[in-house]
Amino acid sequence: MRRQDDSVRRKALNFEVVYHKFVPIYPLCSPFPTPNSDVNIDFPYPPMIRVTDVAKWYGSIRAVENINFSLAPGEIVGFVGPNGAGKSTVLKMLATYILPSSGKITIDGLDVVSHSLSIRRKIGYLSGDTPLYQAMRVDKFLKFCGKARGLSGDILEKKLAWVVDICGLSPHLYKRIDQCSTGFRQRIGVGAALIHDPPILLLDEPTHGFDPLQVLAFRDLIQSLSENRIILFSSHIIHEVAALSDRVLIIHQGNLLADGSIDNLAQKTGQSRDLEAIFTHLVHLQN
Amino acid sequence: MPNRLRPKDFARGIGVIFVREINAYFDAPIAYVYASVFLLLSCSTFMNAFFLKGVLDMAPYFDLLPFFLIPFIPAITMRAWAEEHSQHTIELLMTMPLLSIQIVLGKYLSALVFYLIVLLGTLPIVFMLLFLGSPDLGLIFSSYLGALCLGAFFLAFGLFASGLTRDQIVAYVIAVLLGFVFVLSGHEKVVEILDGLAPAYRIGSLLYESLSIAPHYSAFTRGIIALPAVLYFTLLSAFFLWINDLSLKRDRR
Repeated sequence: MRRQDDSVRRKALNFEVVYHKFVPIYPLCSPFPTPNSDVNIDFPYPPMIRVTDVAKWYGSIRAVENINFSLAPGEIVGFVGPNGAGKSTVLKMLATYILPSSGKITIDGLDVVSHSLSIRRKIGYLSGDTPLYQAMRVDKFLKFCGKARGLSGDILEKKLAWVVDICGLSPHLYKRIDQCSTGFRQRIGVGAALIHDPPILLLDEPTHGFDPLQVLAFRDLIQSLSENRIILFSSHIIHEVAALSDRVLIIHQGNLLADGSIDNLAQKTGQSRDLEAIFTHLVHLQN
Repeated sequence: MPNRLRPKDFARGIGVIFVREINAYFDAPIAYVYASVFLLLSCSTFMNAFFLKGVLDMAPYFDLLPFFLIPFIPAITMRAWAEEHSQHTIELLMTMPLLSIQIVLGKYLSALVFYLIVLLGTLPIVFMLLFLGSPDLGLIFSSYLGALCLGAFFLAFGLFASGLTRDQIVAYVIAVLLGFVFVLSGHEKVVEILDGLAPAYRIGSLLYESLSIAPHYSAFTRGIIALPAVLYFTLLSAFFLWINDLSLKRDRR
């Protein structure tokens, strides 16, 4: 069981985990199965995200190529690879920040190129740079993110209270963001991504700047949010991905090397059930 | 429906960005410094001319206004996009369920309101003229309208310049240079020099008639609210906002 029961540790971090009942805000973003859809290998729900033959070129530089995978609600997927492997590029395309040069990405059946607005309503995205308006107060920043995502009135207040609670933001809620620590800013970023309670959470290096205790508390948070939600997070720290993910995507030099659970990958590669060994093996094979 | 918004949602999105941006202006002490310096310089220059001429009008103020706006407006707009790029908050904005034109318009309107507030800081001059005698209020009103149109246009190309770069200083320099082109191309001496360089093509006159703000702005300062002048400022502002939006869309590719 990865879910932690150590309430003392959580209280010490002020990361009070609330097992949130998922209530979709937007009617189109239902995470529940629809008939006549594909069924993912390990999960009961059909894929909500489909990435097909996607490539991204920045001018003449190839960032990623031949990326194929699909994700279903309820999955926690770790995106692992060294720096510059293409993790952030794929996440940015899923978040509709950049467009694929070729291939197709659909989210809940909608194309990221033509339906970016509808897709953005279903996605909570934390960029690797943790973009925050430094001069804003934490509460005002979260309200701004909520309003920009269509929340208002009581619903906004409820979502704000929920986010403050699960991300442990109350100690510095009325401080300016530039007065908060790096770890706290990261929590604000996670809170901003969650404010509209999205069915898909894309987190690029979410534990950057966390101390070890905060990393553990973050795992609890992700576990608590995973029900009926897709959580795709990237990291170059392999043991972090191994500890948290149901499934792993390994990317190296812009190519997706492997996709599956750690057991599955260990079986396929003939390695022990150690993600680091699997990763090293696959990278050596590619090189 | 692909990327369509109801008018109400469109306006709401602009409003959200507008409120954030206008608060950002008033949260930053530097904005107060720019506004104070602008008001101090422009008003003191007017007072000097006022006492020398001894005429009850604001013509000296509005004649010099374009030259004061050249350094002032880019100082307002330079951070608009350049800061978003340097702090990576552009990624946050562009992954919100908002059209890029909503973000552009929200930023533009907030800058316009800030400029309007600064312009209202010159109202004591009007009160002083009213105290001293009976100035032509119609002329003053049309001149203020001209100043508003001129500022709106400067803000539009200032925002565009800010969107071209991550560096605020570079954004400032580009906007100042554009300002000089639009203002100086209406200056008599510049027109003469340019015409003299290639008399057959009369480049100076061509620029004066087609590009310069001078003939359009001077209509307002003469008390004429002419449709061509209003259209000139409106269409050129819309053009720069449109290419600002295009540049944001291009960045996604």
